[in-house]
Amino acid sequence: MNILQEKNGTELAIALEGRLDTMTAPELEAALKDAFEGVETLVFDLEKLDYISSAGLRVLLSAQKTMNRQGSMKVTHANEIVREIFDVTGFADILRIE
Amino acid sequence: MKQKRRPGIAFTIICAILLSQAAFAVMVQAIGAILFTNSFKKEYATSTYYMANTAAALINGDHLDGYAAGEAAEEYELTRQRLDVYCRKMHVSLLYVICVDTSDYGRFVSIFNSVDNTVDNTSYTEWELGFRRDTTNDEYRKKYRAMYEKTAPYETVYRTTRLNGHNPHITTMVPVSDSAGNTVGILCIQRPMRELRDAYRPYLVSVAVWAMVSCAVTGALAAFYIRRQFLRPIQKTADEAIRFARENTKGEPLGKISRLREIDDLAGAIDTMESDMLTYIENLTSVTAEKERIGAELSLASTIQENSIPNIFPPFPDRTEFDIYASMTPAKEVGGDFYNFFLIDDDHLAMVIGDVSGKGVPAALFMMVTNILLSDRTHMGGTPGEILTYVNRNLCEHNKADMFVTLWLGILEISTGKVVFANAGHEDAAVCSKDGAFALYKTRHGFVAGGMQGIKFRDFELQLQPGDKLFLYTDGVPEATDGENRMFGMDRTLDALNANREKTPQEILEGVHGSVDAFVGEAPQFDDLTMLCLHYIGADKKNDVHELTVDATPENLGAVTEFIDGVLQEAGCPMKTQMQIDLAVEEIFVNIAHYAYEQETGKATVLITLGQDPRAAHITFLDSGKPYDPLGKKDPDITASAEERKIGGLGVFLVKKTMDNVQYVYRDGRNILSFQKNL
Repeated sequence: MNILQEKNGTELAIALEGRLDTMTAPELEAALKDAFEGVETLVFDLEKLDYISSAGLRVLLSAQKTMNRQGSMKVTHANEIVREIFDVTGFADILRIE
Repeated sequence: MKQKRRPGIAFTIICAILLSQAAFAVMVQAIGAILFTNSFKKEYATSTYYMANTAAALINGDHLDGYAAGEAAEEYELTRQRLDVYCRKMHVSLLYVICVDTSDYGRFVSIFNSVDNTVDNTSYTEWELGFRRDTTNDEYRKKYRAMYEKTAPYETVYRTTRLNGHNPHITTMVPVSDSAGNTVGILCIQRPMRELRDAYRPYLVSVAVWAMVSCAVTGALAAFYIRRQFLRPIQKTADEAIRFARENTKGEPLGKISRLREIDDLAGAIDTMESDMLTYIENLTSVTAEKERIGAELSLASTIQENSIPNIFPPFPDRTEFDIYASMTPAKEVGGDFYNFFLIDDDHLAMVIGDVSGKGVPAALFMMVTNILLSDRTHMGGTPGEILTYVNRNLCEHNKADMFVTLWLGILEISTGKVVFANAGHEDAAVCSKDGAFALYKTRHGFVAGGMQGIKFRDFELQLQPGDKLFLYTDGVPEATDGENRMFGMDRTLDALNANREKTPQEILEGVHGSVDAFVGEAPQFDDLTMLCLHYIGADKKNDVHELTVDATPENLGAVTEFIDGVLQEAGCPMKTQMQIDLAVEEIFVNIAHYAYEQETGKATVLITLGQDPRAAHITFLDSGKPYDPLGKKDPDITASAEERKIGGLGVFLVKKTMDNVQYVYRDGRNILSFQKNL
């Protein structure tokens, strides 16, 4: 999985490519941990994310909890498969999905 | 709100007694006053009459008319003085003599008039001789006439009440006669009835005082008596009843606690009730204990019965050529229905369904015997007809209770789909061809097993094609009865089957069960409800099983996913479905890798089979780790907010949501989790 970060002042955009699963989720978690500092707006671009499993959902949930405290977070361009998983697990109600 | 305290019995009764006493006292006073007044009046009238007669004797009646004209003045003066003296000495307030005009008695002339105002504190003035006046009223007029006509020796007018400022007094009149005996005038004496008034008040006061004393005494006596003979016993009885209700233990008997019969009866009844109740409770306790013991035994028996037949599904997770499901719902704790199925060898599956006559424990025992005989004999080989013949013979030999059982026994040759079966008085099986509908497969029935010695049972054949389904049932299904005694019937059974015919055997049985339940409604289940359904998939797909065994570590996830994706891509699986299956595979495999073997590393095996009818991927995970049912866990609350969300359980939840027929079973030391997904 590729993680592309782009920071613009207090805004952080993260584009994910490939599969966010049990093996790759820790990578994203580590990357986020370093990048949260001073971020007020966090945007995930999931356009090229093929796949997400519960391990990936866990990382998104903890990112959402962090951003609840220091700003806002949104998820964009999720594909049909990923969006269905958000729906089934109730994440669609928690995340701001655009 | 505070409830108003209601008055007690003692208060009410004493109030009632006092009130009635007061009423009685008033009545006595009233009656006494009337009697007293009457006797007093009578006494007064008589004495006044004598006084008047005495006064009248002083008057010379012959000259009475003349006095007014001034005749015999000396005699008049003498008589007047005598009368004055008489008036004063006799303590009368008025003494007068009048001559009444006898034409209508409406006027009179005063002759003598003596007044003594000191007697009764009056203020009369004396009438002079010849003073004329109209008669006071009709009462006087009538009485004057009586005097003149001599119809009464004297007349009396009473004034017993205070009237126009005058005290009570009596006026008595007597005739004054001349020497010839004719009435020439009337002598009236007005005498005060002071004594009446004076005697009246003390009388009333004394009656009132005595009434009050009597009220107080009887009130106190009543209070004392009520408290002792009534209230205390009642209170004691009530306390005992409350104590008993709370403690349910034997207490001190109340015994004789009052002289009042009703109270005593009540106390006696409470005593009797307590001892009866205690006896009853004792009986009930032992009966209940007995019932509980029987209940526990029945429940154990029911468990034994349930476990004597295969009840873990899927029963053969690694057999892909068929899918089988069965269910049994006994009407009582233990039932006489049963089903059974087992592999005789790699290529032969035996299926049995049976219904023992009767219900409950006897039927359950008979069913156990039948089932054991049947499965033992089946394992020894032979056709269903031979097996049933053997079973019948053995059942008959030891059947003292005249019980019997209907049986349908079939043996499926898995590689060809050929079913050989025999029927001992059981319902016909229903068969559904791949593209058709369920229909009964009718054959001749043999006699019921256990009913008669020496019966031979015939074999019949039935060819199943891949995709066909076979449905077996007991009469509990078509004979399920609703509240209005209508039966579910074979037509409804077939309808329910056909409504679900595309589904898996488990879903078909659940569908039929649901239809029966909806039909029966509130009516109690009368008969056992037992069903079995076989889906024959066919042996030719057997080669499609792909198997991979790896160490159960997260690092091997890539290898597992690659293996699954390879099979799916070859089968032309759509990308979206493949992603969903990948997700399920990852969640299950990661679960095994993390939890199954704790610190050690064990193996995990994944099987994937591609079913053709319908086109579906069947995936099974097997591991030898500690027994753990991931499906038993409660689903996560997906409506909670981000802060409240727990991440655990989400993976399995996703599998349940996106895959079909997710099942778990622990068998032969292995966790077996399987699911399928239509392609």
